[in-house]
Amino acid sequence: MQFWALVVDGSRESRDKKIFWVVLAITLLIALAMLCIGFDGRRVSFFFGLVKGDAPESGLMESIGRTQLVGVVVWLLLETIFGWIGIVLMIVATAGMIPAFLERGVIDVVLAKPLSRPKLFLYKYLAGLVFVVVQSFIFVGATFLVMGFRWGLWVPGYLLAAPLLVLLFSYVYCVSVWVAVKTRSAIAAVLLSLGAWVVFALVHQGPMIFETFPALKEYRTLHAAVRAAAWIPPKTGDIIYFAARWAEAGTSAELFTGIMPRGAMDAEDRQQIDVAMQIEEKEILKSSISSVGSSLLFEAVVVLLAMWSFARKDY
Amino acid sequence: MVAITEMTNWAVDLIDVRKTYGRTIQALSGVNVQVGRGEIFGLLGPNGAGKTTLVKIMMTVVRPTHALGTILGRPIGHRGKLARIGYLPENHRFPGYLTGARVLNYYAALARVPGPRRRSNSARLLQRVGMSTWADTRIEKYSKGMMQRLGIAQALMNDPDLIVLDEPTDGLDPVGRREVRQLLVELRGEGKTVFLNSHLLSELEMVCDRVAILVGGLVARQGTLRELTEHTVEYRIGFSGDAQPIRTKLESLGGSVDRSVLTVPGGDVDRINAAIDCLRAAGIRIESVMPHRFSLEDILVEAVGRTAVAPPTVPSARPVRP
Repeated sequence: MQFWALVVDGSRESRDKKIFWVVLAITLLIALAMLCIGFDGRRVSFFFGLVKGDAPESGLMESIGRTQLVGVVVWLLLETIFGWIGIVLMIVATAGMIPAFLERGVIDVVLAKPLSRPKLFLYKYLAGLVFVVVQSFIFVGATFLVMGFRWGLWVPGYLLAAPLLVLLFSYVYCVSVWVAVKTRSAIAAVLLSLGAWVVFALVHQGPMIFETFPALKEYRTLHAAVRAAAWIPPKTGDIIYFAARWAEAGTSAELFTGIMPRGAMDAEDRQQIDVAMQIEEKEILKSSISSVGSSLLFEAVVVLLAMWSFARKDY
Repeated sequence: MVAITEMTNWAVDLIDVRKTYGRTIQALSGVNVQVGRGEIFGLLGPNGAGKTTLVKIMMTVVRPTHALGTILGRPIGHRGKLARIGYLPENHRFPGYLTGARVLNYYAALARVPGPRRRSNSARLLQRVGMSTWADTRIEKYSKGMMQRLGIAQALMNDPDLIVLDEPTDGLDPVGRREVRQLLVELRGEGKTVFLNSHLLSELEMVCDRVAILVGGLVARQGTLRELTEHTVEYRIGFSGDAQPIRTKLESLGGSVDRSVLTVPGGDVDRINAAIDCLRAAGIRIESVMPHRFSLEDILVEAVGRTAVAPPTVPSARPVRP
């Protein structure tokens, strides 16, 4: 009962924020834009058939196959638009929730209820995820349906992107909440959580540098240290690879070669794209259990630290 | 053991409650307060006396440095017992995106009130505090007085045995204050215990059965209003004539002369008569003899003054408002 009360409240608080509607509008625009694009056999059309792509003999649909279409949705829309812009907007929107909750006169009433502080904190933390749960499921659901009905591409594995996005958000949100509990400042929560996201990404990129420049592997201690360090923080970068794997979207390098045929590249570009493709293929095949498990461990530690601070404070 | 503690006559029995912020700031220096079941109890004191800290400790919002005793028969800080307590904090704020009815529903759910009872209590209490017509309006549109009424309704949603109200009439107009006072008396009539923290002494005087005066983190006085005021009486003797020649004699009787009024503290009739005889012997005409019983305000001022002269036993005690 108490959990649901906080979750329902979290949902109401989310809907009260303008950013909630902005993100929703972005989702609807994307879905609408996808709807505008249609494929009729081997012909592509725009604006519900008002503008037709010419020359079916150009073999457009041959070069842009199922993998590339799903790839566009995953790599362009899911990762870039929702996975970056959307998540940043949602971090900004949710950063104020905990400081508002901890304000004098607000927290007093809640703490005086028969609910232990650790439980209250945990419920409030989960309630804060309601925002992104709603948005992620709407985004993935809408794009899934458009792909299915409009393009004839039914990709059930793509639906797993919704919980993956929630997971991605939660990796950063835990830092936001911890900072908010410590400082009671929404601005500090936004800045430090976004900063942490950048650090996570950089640390995660560390081992890839050794893949790109194999000569660096000679520095074994450094290589081992970088790999060990990369294990600790949440693997935010892995999320999109898991989404791509389960949606069978291929790699972003593959998508690039679909748009720009290899024949149009010079030798150096071809070599670079080959290296990128190899690295991405490795990433896609990574163990999701290890990646998500270690990331959740990090998240659990941060949440426990925040919970500890919350439970020990006087308000 | 539980059964025995549950049967205590005190709804609130606080023993040696202490709170130190940091290492040096002592907000409470060993407070002992007892509140009987079914009574309205008033906690009063000057700003910074530690009243709100004490209330917050009772409600588990602030953790005490040391505290013994019970609330509704359970140790202070017992979470489960909070389901039987209603609380309105000072300067409370509810989320602006909620309507009045949703505020009540939300906080009652946190207090583990079942859904059907939440709905019926919500309608009944909004009616009781005169807010029925505002039930579906977002509270960001409420005035301070309306928020206060809603806060009181929130504190009653779980049908509590003990109601702790911190400045409940804050922001209310005189009519609203009277309504709150009536409500408190009705609640007492229903067998509920009301713990009231207010700086409005006249209001406490009107409704409280017992009061405690908190000064400098300690209870300076505690008891029923009668107990606190029965020994705090003085006689004011109005006269016409020059009392200067006998001033020393009057002061030796414990009196003090201010223009044409001689004030004799205490209710000792012999001393009053001696003072009157003294005045008459000097040819001074007696115009009036008025007994004056101290008000709560007088007692508070006296308690504060006494504490100012003789501070609490802890030398570093410095009352603060956390």
